[in-house]
This record gives sequence, C-alpha cells and structure tokens, in this order.
Amino acid sequence: MNKKPHADNIYIEALLKNDSRVLSKIYENFSHKIVAYVKKNNGNADDAQDIIQETLVTIFHQAKEKNFILTCPFDAYFYLLCKRRWLNELKKRGNKRVTIIEDNTSITVEQEQQVEETELFEEQHQLFELKFKELGKKCQELLKTSFKIKSMEKVAEILGVTYGYARKKKSQCLGKLTQLVKSSNKFHQLKEY
Amino acid sequence: MKEEKYIVFDKYLTNELTQEALTSFEDKLQSDAVFKQEFEIYKALNSSLSSKFENEEEEKKLRDTLSNLGSKYLTKEKVNKKKGKVISLVNYKQLMVAASIALLIGFFIFKDGNPVYNDFSNHTPLELVVRGENNTTTIKAEEAFNSKNYKEAFKQLSILANKNPNDTEIQLYKGISLLELNQYAKAEVIFNKISSGDSSFSNTAKWYTALSFLKQGKLKECKKTLKTIPESAEEYKQAKKLLRKL
Repeated sequence: MNKKPHADNIYIEALLKNDSRVLSKIYENFSHKIVAYVKKNNGNADDAQDIIQETLVTIFHQAKEKNFILTCPFDAYFYLLCKRRWLNELKKRGNKRVTIIEDNTSITVEQEQQVEETELFEEQHQLFELKFKELGKKCQELLKTSFKIKSMEKVAEILGVTYGYARKKKSQCLGKLTQLVKSSNKFHQLKEY
Repeated sequence: MKEEKYIVFDKYLTNELTQEALTSFEDKLQSDAVFKQEFEIYKALNSSLSSKFENEEEEKKLRDTLSNLGSKYLTKEKVNKKKGKVISLVNYKQLMVAASIALLIGFFIFKDGNPVYNDFSNHTPLELVVRGENNTTTIKAEEAFNSKNYKEAFKQLSILANKNPNDTEIQLYKGISLLELNQYAKAEVIFNKISSGDSSFSNTAKWYTALSFLKQGKLKECKKTLKTIPESAEEYKQAKKLLRKL
C-alpha cells in the first residue's frame, strides 16, 4: 500500500521533534472532547490528561521504531485511541457498574486500520516489557547496556569481559527472552503482527 | 545447540554471516516454520528493545513537554471551571435572594414575576492568555470582555477568530458579546453552530441560546431550548432553575 502522509502527519513529526508549539495544538484543538468523554464516563480531568499523554507517548514510540506515518486525519484517530484506552482503564479498575455513554463518531476503514496498528504496536511493546522484567538481573543489565551503547566492543569494556563473551551473552539473553515471549498466551493473540 | 542458534540470529541481523552460512540460514527460514517463528520474535525483540533504550532520554523530554501542556490546557481549565462554578453558586445564592424579593414585590406590586435575562447573565470570565503567545489582541479581548465592554470585546474576538477559525471558545465568547449587544440573530447563528458540534462547549452554547430567547422575551422558545440541556451538563442546574421560574 502506498503510504502517503496526511497533512496531519505534522503532529507525528512534532512528537518526534518534541516541538511544543505544534504539540500545544493537539491540546488546544483535539483534547477537549476527550476530556468531555472521560468525564462523562466516570473519570476526571486528571484521568483524561494521563490518557492523552500515554497515547501520545505510544505514537511517539511507534513512529520511532516503525516509522509510523499518519495517512488519515489526526482528530478521529487520536480520539478513538484515547477513548478505547479509557475504556480499558475502566475495565482494569474493575468498575462494573459503569454505563458507557456511546457517542456516534463515524470512522473510516482507513482510520480504523491505523488505530488498530497503533494498538497492536502497544500491546506488543507492553508484552515485551513485561517479559523483559522476568529475565534475570544480569541479562537485563547486559541487554540494556548493549542497546544503549551500540558498539559491543565498548559494552565488553564497560562490563569487564571479552568481546566474544559479551556477544555470546547478549544473544543468549535475547534468546531467553524470545522463549519467554513465545510461550506466553498473549503472544498467540498478537501473532499476526 | 540452542545457544548457537541465537548467535546466528544475532549475526544475521548485523550482516556478519559468511555467504555459506547465510544461504543455509535462509534455507532454514524457508523450510522450518518453528525456526522462522523464533527468528521473527528475536528480530522483533531486538528492534523493540533497541528503540526503547535508544530513545529513553527523548521519551523523558517528551513526557516533560506533554505534562506541561497537559496542566496548562487541561488542568488549568479544570481550575477555571471550578472557579466558575463557585462564582455562579455564590451569585446564585444572591440571585435566589434577589429573585425571591423580586417575586415578593412582584406579588404585591407588579403582576409580572417572570425572570429576566440579567438575573442569569453571569458569564464565566474570559481567560485566553494562558494559550501561550503573548498576544496583545488576546489581552485586549480579555480585558474588554471581563470589564463588560462588549463592543470592544467583539472587535478583538473577531480578529482572534480569524486567526484561529477552529477555536470554539473564541467563537462562544464572540456570541456572548453579540448577545450582550442585542444582536440576537448573529449570536444565535454562532450558538447554534457550537451546540450542534461536539466540543465541550456545546451545552454552554445551548444555555446561551436559551438566554438569548429569554432576553428577547421569547419564553416558549427559551423553555424548549432549556429542555435540550442534558443532566450531565454543568449548565443543567441553572437550566432547571430557570425552567421552574418560567
């Protein structure tokens, strides 16, 4: 599929560049109805602020890692992501008596696709993070250092081991993590990605 | 054996395999589905963790920016709204006293005890300066509106509206200024547009549409509009009170 960026892709670029002038437009133009939605559904302005921020950070990571490009208007895409994130949050809080006030946001197939892409990205990201924490402390440290410092020679130097050993250990630790992810239930739901 | 597998994965990703090893690796990817799946996970983890740790600092900076913007635009608004609520409540009590006195007097002297526009026209002060730019038009608009100089406020708000065509709050206050200037038709066009949109101001706009009818003495229309304000709206209480008086 030919990915032609929508004009609103400026918001994605602003996240990458940490451009507060453009980012303020997101808060100015698109956030009020999210706040209104959260407030209508058992939340307050602080909840809405968290939801908005976490959604934006997720898009930031997706753009960094996967070169995510927005091909539809930002408004509906962002609103739907925040809305679903809030519904998930309510579920987590175990609020069973909540009556969700549905609104009639119409959304195109393409927008739906982009929303799902971002959601899948986040679920995978969260799964990886969860499993990473199940690794032993040594593996965690080694992986963190290796990914932060690109050169394995330097990593070996910092850790006081030989280059060969550092290389071997890194692939072993990542292999261990691969096994952890592979055997998790969650992974099978995400397989498509 | 297993360990070696991961070393090969790693070398493949860094383009360090010899031609021979590369061919055999790619063959295995084609023929062995389990092997392929493991490699896919390994690759995804490599990319995900690498991106995560590489961008840790940037993420922190972005979070700082977003926190600032969030409290500036969202939490600040919350404070405003609280303030607005308190003011309207205090005013409301005074208003109730005034209204009951008026009602009493009305009973004795006048036959007409209908509520009037001025009893309900306590506008939440306009606060736009928070929106960053040190803009003299913004300051002028605020000062004019908050000191009830609606002619000047309308002028400044119109300039702002041209610059920010999508800013609903500016539109709303432009409408209120028009209403204060008795330009009902123009004001109602603005309120109707906001009411039918999905901004957080839509119920406020409905309330002002009702006030416009009240000011013109169109009590039937006023009643009808008040009934469209949902229970969840901040204006609901006021609307109910006014309805009772009509």
